[in-house]
Amino acid sequence: MSNYQKPLPVIQPHSAAFWEGTRQHKLMIQHCRDCDSNIFYPRKHCPECWSENLDWIESSGKAKVFSFSVTYEGLEPMFQQDLPIILAWVDLPEGVRMCTNLLNCDPDEIEIGMEVDVVFQQATEDITIPYFTPSSPVV
Amino acid sequence: MSKGLAIVGIAEVPTKRDPERTRWDILLEVCVGAVRDAGIDKNEINAVISPNPMAQPEMQNDMALGKIPDVLGLKGCRDICIANAGGTSNTNCLRLAQELIDSGQANFVLIPHTTVQSDMPPADLINFFATAPLDKQWEYPWGVSFNGSMGLITNRYMYETGASQEQMAAVTVGLRAWAAMDPMSIFYGKPLTLDDVLESRMVSTPLHARECNLLADGGGAMVVTSHEIARQMGDGRHAYKLGHGTRFTSAAPFTREDIFFRESYRASSQDALKQAGMTIDDIDLRQIYGAYPFTQCSALEGYGAVPENQGAIAWAEGRCGPGGDLPCTTMGDAIGRGHTGSGVSMAFYIDCVRQIRGEAGERQIQNCNNVIVTTSGGSGMNTCTTVFGSEPR
Ligand SMILES: [Zn+2]
Repeated sequence: MSNYQKPLPVIQPHSAAFWEGTRQHKLMIQHCRDCDSNIFYPRKHCPECWSENLDWIESSGKAKVFSFSVTYEGLEPMFQQDLPIILAWVDLPEGVRMCTNLLNCDPDEIEIGMEVDVVFQQATEDITIPYFTPSSPVV
Repeated sequence: MSKGLAIVGIAEVPTKRDPERTRWDILLEVCVGAVRDAGIDKNEINAVISPNPMAQPEMQNDMALGKIPDVLGLKGCRDICIANAGGTSNTNCLRLAQELIDSGQANFVLIPHTTVQSDMPPADLINFFATAPLDKQWEYPWGVSFNGSMGLITNRYMYETGASQEQMAAVTVGLRAWAAMDPMSIFYGKPLTLDDVLESRMVSTPLHARECNLLADGGGAMVVTSHEIARQMGDGRHAYKLGHGTRFTSAAPFTREDIFFRESYRASSQDALKQAGMTIDDIDLRQIYGAYPFTQCSALEGYGAVPENQGAIAWAEGRCGPGGDLPCTTMGDAIGRGHTGSGVSMAFYIDCVRQIRGEAGERQIQNCNNVIVTTSGGSGMNTCTTVFGSEPR
């Protein structure tokens, strides 16, 4: 059994494919077949054209840091052992931005614009969570 | 028909953390206080519209289901309602009140706010504020909090504008300088230096503890009426609503194009100023509810009061604090006042009235006739800007 203590994502029918993707270590981005938009976060209707004719594409997972914030305190006790947590908004080449954490990097070495790659960590048997890590390890 | 909206009665309790002072203690004091301040009879109140008391389910039920007119014996009350749009709840109370006044259903509307947060366990407060505005699927699993979310925005703001940590800290110093002169603030008599801010604990970079909000208890109430009725009350000098504009960005900050709300400040203020027949240069005081320092900067830029990217410089030069030529947020924002939940913006409107009446004491802006007030809700989902003047148009 997993002893993962942190909150798990609340998954919806239209986002299930995203979380199925992360289980297979793939970062899936929703795509509208009608207007060609890439959509994040996943929705039932395309937020551009309201089409329900939605598909999925696999992201390269190579992103750039749009912004970051290193959180030292103020989270619920279940996050305590992970502090400090590096929050980041990363821009994927598919034109979408997602919220994540940066792993395996020194908070002092992070810069806006830095290149990061997706990595996956299994939280429970069913849930694998995507994180990002610097593309070229900082020495 | 009697139209327009003017604020003719105000009352507040000092913001503090004191679980002995109950929600109803605060509520009754401010309701009675505001009606007496307006100089009307309690039975002249035709409606009670309250901001939703966030995270306080019993008071929410009491307010939503009509207890206030009952308890206070408001015999002329025709309807009640609570409004919830986070920090813009009060703005929506004013808009609902105006509809009742414009449609002839009300001459006077009472808008009361009460919050007690000091009786909630800290873990519950963190949980509530960590989860309320955040996406349970796309933010919360990664440990995003309100402070973290605003840290992300602030970091990007500093990157794009070149604002330094010292310039950003100057915003909090300026806000606390106002708050230190305000007996309604939890920080009355407690100004901060730049070093106090920069040497406080780092909460979520680049935000130090002093740049984050202290959750507190408080409340206030307003009595509002039409322009025509207001003109005949007292000396006729009241806060008359002259223009209003509003914009929505999105619930989740990472999906926004308008990262700093700057374009929303710009568009909403342009709408409001246009209706008021003014430009930003006609404004004597800017009251900005943004809860975090970057908003005090990006709002000035969006208003067009300073050039783009120079909001933090204006604060660092002392232009926005006491004695400055561009006074902003004389009640200290939530950072300087103590954050009182979704009714937090009550204090901004009440201070607007005090300034227009000339009753702001040490904080009084000379010849304060026109005030622009902006509120935001959630984690910056919307931006509601109102222009008030000392005379109806
Ligand atoms: Zn589409």
